Amino acid sequence: MPIRFKKLSYIYNKDMPYAHKALDEIDLEIKEGVITAIIGETGSGKSTLVEHLNALLLPSEGSLEVLDYNIVANQKQRFLKPLRKDVGLVFQFSEYQLFEETVIKDVAFGPLNFGFTPEEALKRAAEALKKVGIREEDFNRSPLELSGGQKRRVAIAGILSCDPKIIVLDEPTAGLDPQGAREMIDLFVELNKKEGKTVIIVSHDNEMVYNYCDETIVLSHGKIMYNGPTFDLFADKEKLKEFNMLEPQIVSFRNDLCEKGFRLSRDARTLKQIAKEVAEQVKR
Amino acid sequence: MNNLVFGKYIPIDSFMHRLDPRAKLIGLFLMIAAVFVPKSWWVFLVIAILLALALLLAKIGIKMIVQSFKPMIMMMIFLLVINALTIKTGDILFTLGPVEIYSDAIFNTLFVIVRLLLMISITTLLTATTNPLDLTLGIEWLLHPLEIVHFPAHEVAMMVSIALRFIPTIIEETMRIMNAQKSRGVDFENGRFSEKIAAILSLIVPLFSVAFERAYELADAMEARGYVPGAERTRYHVLKFRFTDYIFILICVLVLTFSILSRFYL
Repeated sequence: MPIRFKKLSYIYNKDMPYAHKALDEIDLEIKEGVITAIIGETGSGKSTLVEHLNALLLPSEGSLEVLDYNIVANQKQRFLKPLRKDVGLVFQFSEYQLFEETVIKDVAFGPLNFGFTPEEALKRAAEALKKVGIREEDFNRSPLELSGGQKRRVAIAGILSCDPKIIVLDEPTAGLDPQGAREMIDLFVELNKKEGKTVIIVSHDNEMVYNYCDETIVLSHGKIMYNGPTFDLFADKEKLKEFNMLEPQIVSFRNDLCEKGFRLSRDARTLKQIAKEVAEQVKR
Repeated sequence: MNNLVFGKYIPIDSFMHRLDPRAKLIGLFLMIAAVFVPKSWWVFLVIAILLALALLLAKIGIKMIVQSFKPMIMMMIFLLVINALTIKTGDILFTLGPVEIYSDAIFNTLFVIVRLLLMISITTLLTATTNPLDLTLGIEWLLHPLEIVHFPAHEVAMMVSIALRFIPTIIEETMRIMNAQKSRGVDFENGRFSEKIAAILSLIVPLFSVAFERAYELADAMEARGYVPGAERTRYHVLKFRFTDYIFILICVLVLTFSILSRFYL
């Protein structure tokens, strides 16, 4: 079941002289089981949008359907806990949320809150830590001793251990080195392909969005400017110009090839596929 | 957290916002004195009318002022109960069981409450219309004469301005960490006592480590830009009294004079 926003608005500091409409009557559908990117400049409402997904923010107007939950403006919410278990939200600079004495205890904190037994919580924590690539000998260290990249992995494991159906990540690769960022993205792709999780990533990194995300949503001043397949957005020069975005490298390369007379199909999006089609045409 | 009204700066532009922070600080002291001196309702009426005018000039809704009264409600009830039990002068208005309520008890309590409300309104008006950094500049200027007795006015003002500067940052961090922990199933509002302790712990520990990190970063940034405590510094932002500032202080002085005189003649 897709996530549906229906005429959803969110107003910060409602009824104050400096009230601010962060989301403006948003109608939006986010597909299940794919990787969706949300992009837009700072202050466009990206973070506000994702904080609605697990009811950290409740809509000022309109409504929102996530999984089997229906969140309507100005109604008391009763299913916060199960909703938050099913929708895992990893915040920007999530490494600052660690607080337990040991890594494994911190990761088991979420499952314990959601009602798992201590044994089960520890088991889930160990599994989640393995998934994000933390070695077993580090399980009993203090999270504060780890490096920045490792801390972030532990924080992500802290959400994965709750076994959410939807994983939302706000700038998960910001401040990581290229190698670390790459491994992080590979992890999300794996979660999506192997476990069928719906993954939503808020990002500034167009290259990453183009290479890994199936769908893209463009947000500007609290309104949806684009919602559709990632390739259709980045292949459309007019749209890129309108949204003030740069072409990803592969798209530039593809466009150059087309100008030189190659006929590339819609499938030729990655370097590998482009190479294949070019090779076929060179042979002929 | 966002509902805190008392002491919150409202970043808009208005006549009151443009007044010199020093003038507003002096005005605050004069007006609070004027609220505490009189024994007559007439003075309160005059102050309330001037206050309403100032609120209008500050473009601050009455709603915000009323909201700033909320934390005081318990105190007012407490005051009323104590006064009702202890003051035994004036006429008996009515009896509640064994307790006789005298008119002076009600009258005195009302008087004190009005006094408190006026004081809170005046303070809220100051903090709502003055940027915290300007406020510390004003405080530093007022503390300046004390440097003769080696009072570190500049250092104190710097500490106050850093503290004020970090309140919104720390609130923001608190919200972020709270949201992160809520996403991990922490319930900050409901739950048993032991659960609440765990919830608070999951907030306090990261908050402390963030606060220390920020403090180190700030210290490095200040040193990198050549900050030396106690060294003579020039100002980027120079405060300047204008005609309206003098008028504003003059009005406040007049109110205080009226208030003092009212004790003898009204």
